[in-house]
Amino acid sequence: MEFRGRPHGTLVDLLDRILDKGLVINADVIISVAGIPLIGINLRAVLAGMETMIDHGLMLGWDQTMREQEGERRGNRVEADAT
Amino acid sequence: MNAARYLYCVTQGKKKMTFGKIGIDEKEVFTIPYKDLCSVVQDCPAQPYKSENQEQVKSWIVIHEKVVEMVWKRRNTVLPFGFDTIVRSVQEKDAEDVLKEWMKDAYGILTQKLARLRERAEYGVQVLWDPKIIGRRLALGNEDLKKLSAESNSRSQGIAYLLQQKAENLMRKDLEREAEKFSREFFLKMNKYADEINVEKTKKSEEGRQMLINLSCLCVRDRVKDLGDELERLNAQDGFFVRFTGPWPPYSFV
Repeated sequence: MEFRGRPHGTLVDLLDRILDKGLVINADVIISVAGIPLIGINLRAVLAGMETMIDHGLMLGWDQTMREQEGERRGNRVEADAT
Repeated sequence: MNAARYLYCVTQGKKKMTFGKIGIDEKEVFTIPYKDLCSVVQDCPAQPYKSENQEQVKSWIVIHEKVVEMVWKRRNTVLPFGFDTIVRSVQEKDAEDVLKEWMKDAYGILTQKLARLRERAEYGVQVLWDPKIIGRRLALGNEDLKKLSAESNSRSQGIAYLLQQKAENLMRKDLEREAEKFSREFFLKMNKYADEINVEKTKKSEEGRQMLINLSCLCVRDRVKDLGDELERLNAQDGFFVRFTGPWPPYSFV
């Protein structure tokens, strides 16, 4: 089971962090101050289709059967975790 | 061309050095030092990266994460920036000077943050349950529900329907109470394994599952096995599902 090894995340988990979080620098030297939250939203919209595509597909390996079925259903676009 | 700097992260290091052309648009990723800290950056145009093309955006995000993880691996501790954090030149000061000035002003805070995050990583913990399975289990212990269902069996169709509605309401309330109780207890349990916890918004889940709690946990990397064991026990319980992700650079704790 994945819990003991390196657990894996999906693109959605990454987006939750990389778009909404991270170190903040004082606003007056940052490009497009007012636009920053908008960029996040914009990117989310662009990526929305992808989220649903991989949401369950990349889930951890505790339910292999489900994942295999998902993989077939989604034309094998689902990458299996390496471990 | 050198109008602005795209920021990946802040880390320890005194030297000006390059990591090669691994950045967005195959630009060189390099450090801008101030005292014993440095920012990891690349040159970029003075405007945010945006595109309507999914694959394009995805590749930028993956590059951002790869650079941060690479630095993280080499330097042990990073303060990651979010995607598309870009510093521009201000009046006569170029972007690099602006960045150095910020590092100078924020030096104390940045140093403190780096010390707090040493040997630590962020882990995502999401707990979901299947309300049908849990609901059935709760119903077994609810005398009112048992009475209702016994009564509805002996009544006319119309009355039975109303009684059933009543039973469903009772079940929903039971589930809500249980979800609240579970989340409270689970959070306290996680406190034993994490230095810090951020409570994130729960997400809509599919396939009959419902997300009860969504946490970002800051944990000592070497001690995360205990957390994994605890989560594995929960995941083995009927009706519960745990998503455990990481180690992430500490995006939620900077």
